[in-house]
Amino acid sequence: MTVSSYRVIGMACGHCAGFVTEEIERIPGVTTVAVDVERDTVTVTSDGPLDIAEVRAAVEEAGYELP
Amino acid sequence: MVGEMGALDGTDPKKFITDFFTSFMSDLARGDEDPTVIVDRYHTPDIVQVADGNLMDRAKLIAHTRPARKHQTGARWEVHEAIADEDRIAARYTLHFQTSKREGSVDVHFFGQFAADGRMRRAHMLTRSVPAKVSGAAPAEVSSESSPPEAPDRRQSPA
Repeated sequence: MTVSSYRVIGMACGHCAGFVTEEIERIPGVTTVAVDVERDTVTVTSDGPLDIAEVRAAVEEAGYELP
Repeated sequence: MVGEMGALDGTDPKKFITDFFTSFMSDLARGDEDPTVIVDRYHTPDIVQVADGNLMDRAKLIAHTRPARKHQTGARWEVHEAIADEDRIAARYTLHFQTSKREGSVDVHFFGQFAADGRMRRAHMLTRSVPAKVSGAAPAEVSSESSPPEAPDRRQSPA
């Protein structure tokens, strides 16, 4: 099991968190996604290490950005 | 105090709040003006918004405009009721939004405070997602919205 944290820019509320969670959960191997809107942080638990490009693509698909 | 309410004084609060959000989003959606300039046109530098307990200051608000500008293709504010008390407005509205990937509606209970020039100083919002109306009108294209002539002029540089 791998736990990774990412800084995500642009989230403001629970709806933003929901959009980001929905997209990251689509990445194969991801088991849980926890979003902290106040701290601009997303913590992802997965079966193995994730490709940062996949995470970035998911976050951007949701409408947000990794710095 | 009522006399100091330059932008809100004499304006129907329902119209004021509708125009405020519509005009703000329209400015973001059209053109390539720096989002920082747009945010500062509509908000005082000490702006504090709290949405569902999540605090958003000026920096976070500016960061939040970037995804909105990038992905939002339509937005319409359906203000159900609004009440003004000096420089404050309480409103209940539904935001109907459309992005390149999804569409939806969010019910919002809003308490806000505005500066004399019409810029937002403070806002507290409780929100709830609601199912999109099947038979409802599609959200207006924000790029086609224009500021009604009666809307407070917020295009001047912040004091």
